[in-house]
Amino acid sequence: MTQTFNLPDVGEGLTEAEIVSWKVQVGDTVAINDVICEIETAKSLVELPVPFAGEVQELVAAEGDTIEVGQPLIRISAGADPEGASPASSPVDSAPSEAESTSPTPQTQSRDSAGENQALVGSGPKADVAKARPRVRATAPDLIDASEFDDDVPAPQHGFNTGDIADIVAKASPPVRALAKRLGVAVWELVGSGRNGQITRDDVERQARQKKAQRESGKTPAAGAPVPQGRRLPSDVGLLYDGPREDKIQVRGVRKATALNVTASASTVPHVSVFKEVDVTRTMELRQALKNEPSYKGLSVSPMLFAAKAIIWAARKNPQINATWHDTHYTLRNYVNLGIAAATPRGLVVPVIHEAHTYNTQGLAAAITQLTVDAREGKTTPAEMQGGTISITNIGTLGLDSGTPILPPGQASIVALGAVRKKPWVVDGQIVPRDVMVIGGSFDHRLIDGDLAGAFIADVAAVMEQPGLLID
Amino acid sequence: MEPVQLLSPDGTLREDERYSPFLEALDDAGLRDLYRHMALERRFDQEATSLQRQGQLALWVPALGQEAAQVGTIAALKPTDRVFPTYREHAMALYRGISAEELMATFRATKHAGWDPHAYNFHGYSIVLAAQTLHAAGWSMAVKQDERLGLRARDKAADEIVLACLGDGASSQGDVHESMVFASSYELPLLYFIQNNHWAISVPTATQSRHPLVHRADGYGFEGVRVDGNDVLASYAVAAEMAVQIRNGSGPKLIESVTYRIGAHTTADDPTKYRSDDEVQAWAAKDPVTRFRSWLESGDRADQAYFTQVQEEAEELATELRRAVLAMESIDIERVFDTVYAEPHRQVEVEKAWLKDYEAGFAEAGGDK
Repeated sequence: MTQTFNLPDVGEGLTEAEIVSWKVQVGDTVAINDVICEIETAKSLVELPVPFAGEVQELVAAEGDTIEVGQPLIRISAGADPEGASPASSPVDSAPSEAESTSPTPQTQSRDSAGENQALVGSGPKADVAKARPRVRATAPDLIDASEFDDDVPAPQHGFNTGDIADIVAKASPPVRALAKRLGVAVWELVGSGRNGQITRDDVERQARQKKAQRESGKTPAAGAPVPQGRRLPSDVGLLYDGPREDKIQVRGVRKATALNVTASASTVPHVSVFKEVDVTRTMELRQALKNEPSYKGLSVSPMLFAAKAIIWAARKNPQINATWHDTHYTLRNYVNLGIAAATPRGLVVPVIHEAHTYNTQGLAAAITQLTVDAREGKTTPAEMQGGTISITNIGTLGLDSGTPILPPGQASIVALGAVRKKPWVVDGQIVPRDVMVIGGSFDHRLIDGDLAGAFIADVAAVMEQPGLLID
Repeated sequence: MEPVQLLSPDGTLREDERYSPFLEALDDAGLRDLYRHMALERRFDQEATSLQRQGQLALWVPALGQEAAQVGTIAALKPTDRVFPTYREHAMALYRGISAEELMATFRATKHAGWDPHAYNFHGYSIVLAAQTLHAAGWSMAVKQDERLGLRARDKAADEIVLACLGDGASSQGDVHESMVFASSYELPLLYFIQNNHWAISVPTATQSRHPLVHRADGYGFEGVRVDGNDVLASYAVAAEMAVQIRNGSGPKLIESVTYRIGAHTTADDPTKYRSDDEVQAWAAKDPVTRFRSWLESGDRADQAYFTQVQEEAEELATELRRAVLAMESIDIERVFDTVYAEPHRQVEVEKAWLKDYEAGFAEAGGDK
């Protein structure tokens, strides 16, 4: 029997080596661990000890040749075993037979009845295996052991899905992954065509082209192509509405200003929010009365008008609400410049009623009316949006009940008004229909703790519940 | 700080007031046995390197040159003392009776650890640098708590000390700092054994520490001693002296064993690319095995027949090593998944299923599988 010593991986993950010099020649007798040659790998110069004893029959590679890991290096006869105790009877990696000894690559590890060992992790035979085992299909991306786990139950408790795992183990370099992400290709769908099954840029681009072609032709993938199984939606689902698939919109104007303001505010000011549900039936009755009053003709008499009055009233009782934080100090404002958040076709603007506390109710109604009209028409000047000390946002007009608004820069309080709804309310032990609204808001927690925010909102709510409090 | 040295490279034994008395515990047979263990490991090491070069081991971590440091130290401990090794303590493992087959399973990639740590009071090799120093501190705390709570026979618990092995490279790991802080704070019965073999793969010790590693102990408030790790007698005596103190409740101590890695860091690197041949030759002249052998010979403590007998035993060990490695069964890959957690675990199950599916996705080559 001939024993063949194939080139092992002498480092970790080496694929080839150059034969630098032979230390034996055909006809020499060798013992186990005799050095037969010196090889140079990508990592080092290494002397190779032979795993068999016997006579050298053939040096398969010549000095200067570069051969791949797993290729035959030397053949040794087992005829005259000089060391009877040696384990030559269980050859390390013997060739199948002499007849096959011309076979250039031992690509399928044909198993020898002599008890040949299977490949080791990280050792020479591994490289054989990787090269000799072509993939016929991609791994199922959405594979779940159905016998163990209910397929319909997501796995939030572990926070992953099998696609993630398939993605992680896919053989793709970071640049190729980045490309795949950019082109909307899932790397785990791909069968790598590169060395050792590596997914290449070409694989990604080919897949992207195919997907595009499928989208344009409206066809599903050709039969035989690797189709991912499982719960994924088909890739060809059309579009949500007429228009390009992805549309890049330049950020400018009010959108840009809003983005800058809320980012600055949200990232520097620790916000705290409180809410209170309140019976505003009396306010609604008063509102109706004022609407019928000739002096209010043409003016907007909304719940916001009363809320504005209530805020001014409550700010007088809670001065720290109406202030600006400056880290080393804060400034109390002994006046109210009331910002009114308004949704306009151009976006969100917050025009300010300066010296709002100096207006009587009718004057305030007029100011709000004018301000709202100007805002809707885009006539609000930048100056009119400066200098606010407290703001109010009327999200009730959107049909919402409450929210946590972002503070305008430099202000410590913003009040959110919910929609007025008829609700069952307990009055004197009886459930009766009443007009109810949620009043809430956000506050700068550096300056305003929950108790102060609560006291302030409670005062606003008290006025809304009993607008008679406004009578001096 | 000059390392403690009792046997100089030229073979003269020097008296040391503090350490020489500890050699009295060794009679001629005991001295010879130190040599035997060093010689066995050296032959074992050579065979393992050959097996790796022949594609039979994933990796080998040579201990060539560090035999005296390891054998001297482990010989100074009791078999009941707990050892937390790195991945290079082959001489210690063999000394404790771990078989070739058990030792090589990790390097053949058939098991995470090939032996029962409790059977040998010798933990599995730690591939994660310095992690074992934390394990050692934890174990030492347990020993101390057991003693305090009377969970173990008082004399037995009080008798156990723990050896934490590490290298100069691992000494830079944060884990070592945490371990030493705990050892100091709780006055643990823990001996840190740093084998300074001068190279953390390609990084020289001088880069890792501006002063000898032994001074690290000062920062934690316990004693450190520097010893010539190529002198098996000094290695033995220093460890023996410290073991007595620790057993008597001194708290932790540290040995910096100054030695040299003659071989590569592992079979996957080429040391000629980062260190000079002159340096290697200079250390080869201080070889621990030949130094001790010539001293044994010169003092008529061992005759030629003894050395021949040890050589034969070493060859048998090498043959057994080769036999054991070639006979190892491939790992059952499912078992790897099944032993991650004690109970079924969704992620592990999915990964297992994925691998199974992946394996099934290869072309059925003729005769394969």
